[in-house]
Amino acid sequence: MLNSFSKWTRASCHPALRQISKKMLVTAALFGLSASVAHAVPSYARQTGADCAACHVGAYGPQLTPYGINFKLGAYSDSDGQDGKIPVSAMVAASVTQNAKAPADGSAARTHSTVTETSLFLAGRLADNIGIFSQATSAYNDRKVSLDQFDLRYARSLKLGETDATVGLSLNSNPTLTDPFNTLGQWRFPYMTNDFVPGAGPNSPMVENLGGSVYGLNLYSFINKNFYAEAGLYNTLARSDLVAINGPLDSGKFKGLGYYGRVAYFKDTKRSNFSVGLLGFKTSIQNRSDLSSGLADDYRDLGIDASYQFLGNRQHIFTLNSSYIKEWQTLNYTNNTAGSDNLKNSIKQFRLAGSYTYNQTWGLTTAVFDTRGTKDVTLYGDSQNGQPTTAGYILQADWTPLGKESSWGAPFANVRLGVQYTGYTKYLGGSTYTTADADGNPVDRKAKDNNTLMLFLWTSI
Amino acid sequence: MKKYSMALAAFTLSAVLAQSAFAAGDAKKGADVFAEECGDCHSAIPGKSKKGPPLTGVIGRKAGTAANFAGYSDAMKDSGIVWAADKIDAYITHPKKIVPAGKMKYDGLDDAAARADVIAYISSLK
Repeated sequence: MLNSFSKWTRASCHPALRQISKKMLVTAALFGLSASVAHAVPSYARQTGADCAACHVGAYGPQLTPYGINFKLGAYSDSDGQDGKIPVSAMVAASVTQNAKAPADGSAARTHSTVTETSLFLAGRLADNIGIFSQATSAYNDRKVSLDQFDLRYARSLKLGETDATVGLSLNSNPTLTDPFNTLGQWRFPYMTNDFVPGAGPNSPMVENLGGSVYGLNLYSFINKNFYAEAGLYNTLARSDLVAINGPLDSGKFKGLGYYGRVAYFKDTKRSNFSVGLLGFKTSIQNRSDLSSGLADDYRDLGIDASYQFLGNRQHIFTLNSSYIKEWQTLNYTNNTAGSDNLKNSIKQFRLAGSYTYNQTWGLTTAVFDTRGTKDVTLYGDSQNGQPTTAGYILQADWTPLGKESSWGAPFANVRLGVQYTGYTKYLGGSTYTTADADGNPVDRKAKDNNTLMLFLWTSI
Repeated sequence: MKKYSMALAAFTLSAVLAQSAFAAGDAKKGADVFAEECGDCHSAIPGKSKKGPPLTGVIGRKAGTAANFAGYSDAMKDSGIVWAADKIDAYITHPKKIVPAGKMKYDGLDDAAARADVIAYISSLK
């Protein structure tokens, strides 16, 4: 599902994308922003005979346990040995969302209730060592079906002397989609959101903004269940392909390829586990409708992340997930077309989430987000101090009555009910930023006006 | 004859001692060990297969013969093991030493007390 920040700012999402509506200087960010609803796929449970709680903290996706991590890295192909499992699942997410104040442009009411997404998954084992995770979604805003996620994998287990390794290949639609841990863009908390929640703000590293617009081929290895390494090459989809999958047609075009790299150390003691990792991404992006200049904006992302899970006997589960990503931007195109003051900018993004789950059923999560960056009055035109700073917190309580081994409907049905509150201490620079009213006139809006309460129902079969 | 009697007595004694060592396991603690170490892949519900076979009624069962489980390796089916406490103990200490070509992706449990506890728990599953 594509997210939009246009309700909250005069432009939209990534700073580069903001130029689309402000000055029609399309550059990079363009991309469809990360999918808003993470995933829970009962077809995997039917395939393996395992309960949802085996793979996921809290008996519902997507936060993976070590069992889930190994299942993913094994190309979603482990099974209980029985044939005839159909690798198809479906998901419906509905929510009631209330903002502290309605968007100033009148584009939405203060309170919204809607079926946010309806998704169909092809997810499961296709053959020995081959499996897939793919999701087609009809989102509330246009009800068009888009290809949300795609991850087709091949993996083998190898023994090299005393070294055990899983090596695999992934054809996928999003750089962080392939990651097995719970810290990076696609898989980090919050797992449920919608367009009426302003999220963590309109600016985020490019590696998190590519979903729906690119395809990649990644090679990965997991050695002795400790060392994870992944390298991927990405390119943008052709316009005709974007049309075919209902991708973002205003997306930019890579000049050359995008380069993705990931390493992590993982230690699983069964009772608890932790990971620490590094992430890198590099690409150059051109305005798809203005390729003649040959100029492109360059993005280099470097991140560090860490996670910890205490699982114990699964009655009391604690988790911590954190990441820090810095992006260096060289805005050759945007700066040349007067879209920014600076040729070189940077963004720094910090995310931290901690959760407690009781009996794989009752969950509490607290998270903080903080994004900062170089002052650039032109680029961040809605910011009153020229900085992109957005910071706040998320609180969530949820109830997942099913998804355990002896649950009703297992392994066919699962459901989560939750309440989530997102609070902002800063949005686009400070406690107040500039947006537009219904007539397009600039008006002040407080960061806390974006505070949002959401009740959600999330179910999958 | 006396020699055989002594050997039989020694064998019986060792078997009793071995059994008593496992009997010392705490099934209640073993339930937690099972949840931590085994429960993702094995069920404690009769007849329910996961990635591995159900462990209900495993004591006395010939390896590779759990009903309704189709995921056994040939190596497990051909192992000739009949599961008893000592066999389970050896197997879960280092599965690949006992069934080198087996499918179970488990490195083993070093803690002898935890093994005794989980064996006590598994033995209680009917």
